[in-house]
This record gives sequence, structure tokens and C-alpha cells, in this order.
Amino acid sequence: MGLLSILRKLKSTPDQEVRILLLGLDNGGKTTLLKQLASEDISHITPTQGFNIKSVQSQGFKLNVWDIGGQRKIRPYWRNYFENTDVLIYVIDSADRKRFEETGQELAELLDEEKLSGVPVLIFANKQDLLTAAPASEIAEGLNLHTIRDRMWQIQSCSALTGEGIQEGMNWVCKSVNSKKK
Amino acid sequence: MFGYIWQYVYTFYLRYWLKWLIRQVTGTCELQRICSGYKAGALRTAKAEYSLQSSKNKVLRGALEAKKSNLEQCVDQIMKEKNVKLQKDPLFKGNLQICLLQITGYRSLYVSVEDLRKEPFSSENPEHETMLLKLWDLLMPSVKLESRVTKQWGDIGFQGDDPKTDFRGMGLLGLINLVFFSENYTKEARQALSHANHPKLGYSYAIVGINLTEMAYSLLKSGALKPHFYNTVQGPPELRHFHQLYCFLAYEFDKFWVAEEPESIMHFNQYREKFHDSVKAHLQEPDVDLTLAVSSH
Repeated sequence: MGLLSILRKLKSTPDQEVRILLLGLDNGGKTTLLKQLASEDISHITPTQGFNIKSVQSQGFKLNVWDIGGQRKIRPYWRNYFENTDVLIYVIDSADRKRFEETGQELAELLDEEKLSGVPVLIFANKQDLLTAAPASEIAEGLNLHTIRDRMWQIQSCSALTGEGIQEGMNWVCKSVNSKKK
Repeated sequence: MFGYIWQYVYTFYLRYWLKWLIRQVTGTCELQRICSGYKAGALRTAKAEYSLQSSKNKVLRGALEAKKSNLEQCVDQIMKEKNVKLQKDPLFKGNLQICLLQITGYRSLYVSVEDLRKEPFSSENPEHETMLLKLWDLLMPSVKLESRVTKQWGDIGFQGDDPKTDFRGMGLLGLINLVFFSENYTKEARQALSHANHPKLGYSYAIVGINLTEMAYSLLKSGALKPHFYNTVQGPPELRHFHQLYCFLAYEFDKFWVAEEPESIMHFNQYREKFHDSVKAHLQEPDVDLTLAVSSH
């Protein structure tokens, strides 16, 4: 740790905590994204049974990220984690075209949830490293994102595997928290 | 801080002179004392491994990297270097050779396991497909799979309609483990599956299995499984020994889960950690033996 960062640590107030919920269908890449955020090894990932949680420091925030398993059987439990969510991140496998309809339906249901009303939503169009991935614009259109009027939203193409696009997405997350608090 | 300095001084200077002194007095080298003073298994092999690793002699350190076919030659060289006479200590050669087979075998086992893990499950590979269908038949003998892609996979605990995406970071290793358990301990595997399908206390059998493959893999990688293999295999451990260890974890985890009665599957990671800790604690015991206590058939 350098002297400068020690001084900065002494000076600044404790980080503001932000609760982020990571949802999406199974095999979308939520856990890989979570591990990328925490700069952890992503080569041994297994399907998430239950949930994972990690805290990441970013731009003066302490981001508490909850990664909830996406298999159909445990989707009914998602609602147990809605309370006090600051930002929802919804992860889509852009190459899994067969399930675009299913993922759109789940997202629509989430946006109808009372406990998530007004919560900004970031959609990660993940797996852009795959040749068969649909571009973010096509996904946005398919999901009718432009009809969302009751909250801030953003779609960001990314690859959790290579890390591309993740920082841009997280910048938007921090920006949306800032503008919500004002 | 003082402890750290002491340890440094000890490993770099004192240990060397102490060994020299004992050697002059007893007329035996450290490896001889280890091989005769400790009973065969984790204690002896771990001590021998440490002794070889910290040796200043290239021949001794090199033995840790030796191939199986060169081991006998290595032992001869070590005996020459250390001036050990076969007539005076007739058991030494065989004992050291077993230690070395175990030590180098553990490393090559990791390489073989890693190769299987890195091989992704592929629907285009008929062998992989056959194995997957075999898993179904072993676990659900009375139910026919309606098609290759079907919701039925959920009945043995895969997440979606096609299991191929669930193997992920564990690749083929995850599937091989699942099949091995179901094939060699069919009754136990089906019993675990029936527990897993309990409406309230259940868990997803297949993906929890893949998660336990990850546990076995990480324990192997970190070296934590050394005492278990040194105690239970009198030579180089092989893939089937790794699969056996997986069977132990799968069987014991199921027992643990049923006994703990977790509130819901959402608490999986918390219980997994608890189970993991208890396995790691067992591995600290010198006599550890993680062999599944039921007989395979």
C-alpha cells in the first residue's frame, strides 16, 4: 500500500454501502461476473446452489453483491433478497437465443415487483466473446427495454470471461446510485 | 517476529548442523532415521518429503521430480550420495522407494485430474454423450429418458433441459465422478438421490455433485489430500483413488445434509463450508483415511 492511499484512507469517511442484486437465468454468467468484480480466479466455477455474496470497493462505495442461483427450481427464492436493493443487475447469455423469451419473461416479472419498484436496472448482455452472441441492441429491442419508464436502466454488452465491458457497466451502477441519493 | 527469525535461522543454518551432528553420533542419515523411526504412511512419507525438499543436495531434491521409471535409479543414487549400505539397513531401499512413489505419484495424479477437468463436456463427442446417458440409466433405471434435451434432467438435479452447461469449470471430471459413484455404489447413490429429491430438505443432486468434485479437486490441488493418499495407497495413487475419494465426499455430504436439516437449499454454501471444514480437520489427523466405509459392488 502506498503512502498516498494510506493518507486517502485516513481522510475519507467510511464507504457508503450499496446493495446490488445479481439475477438472471442459470448459466448466464453471474458467478463469473461476481468473481471478476472481486478479481478472483474464474476457471473452477460450478453451478450456484443457493447464493454467493462478495463485497467490492469501487469509487468510494462498498458494493455488496448478491449472486443468486438462476435455476428454475430456486427462482421462487429470488424475492427473499429484494428488500433494500439499490441496483439490480440482470445478466443475459447473449448466445443462448433459445431462452431469450424465458429470460425476457423473468426480467419483466422482476420489473413488476413492488419491492423493486424504482430500482435502477443494469442489463449485462454477457458472453460477447462468443461468435454466436446477439449484439446488445438486438437484445434491447427483443426485450422492449425502451418501454421502461419507471426507473433508470442501461444495457451494456460485456464478457465476464475476458472482463470486457464490466467496468463500463459498474461505472453506470455507481453513477445511478449517486443520482438516486441526491 | 522473533519466531520468524528463529525459523529462518533454524531452516537455513541450525537444521543443517544439527543433522550433521546426529549423523556423526548415530551413523545414519536423516532419511534413514525417518524410514525406520516412523511407521509407513502419512507420517513417514510427509517427513521424507520435507527432508528431500529442504535438502541442499541436488540429487535428493531432484528425486521429487523423477519419473516413475527412474525412481529405482534415484534411490540408488541417493544411497550412494548418503553413503547408505544395503547390508547395514536392508529395509531402507524399499521404504524410500515407496515414499517416493507416493510423493511423485501425487503430483502426476494432479496432472491427470487437471487434464480431465480441462476437457469440456461436448455433445459432439459420442463418448461423453454415452456417459451422460449412462448416468441417467444408473440413477433412474425404471424411467426412460424421453429425449436428449428434456426437463427430466431436473429429476436427477441438473439445472435445465440440457446438462451440458452444468459441468462448466469441472468439465468431464464432474461427469466421470457422478458416473463412478452411481456405478460402484449404486445403492448409496440412489439413496442420496432420493434424499436430494425430498420436497423440503432436498438439494439438486447432480449440481451438488459437481460442486463436490470441485471440493475434491481443490483439496487435491492444495496438497491437503496427501495424508489420505499416503495412508491408503502403498504406491502411486491413481485416478480411481481420486474417484473413490469423491464417493466418500458425495456419500458423507448427503448424510451430513440430512442430519443438519437446513432451512432451505438457499443455505447450501453455509453448510458446504461447514462440511468442508470438517473434512479439512480430518485431513489434519496423521491416521486420516477417507475411504467410504460401505463396500463397493
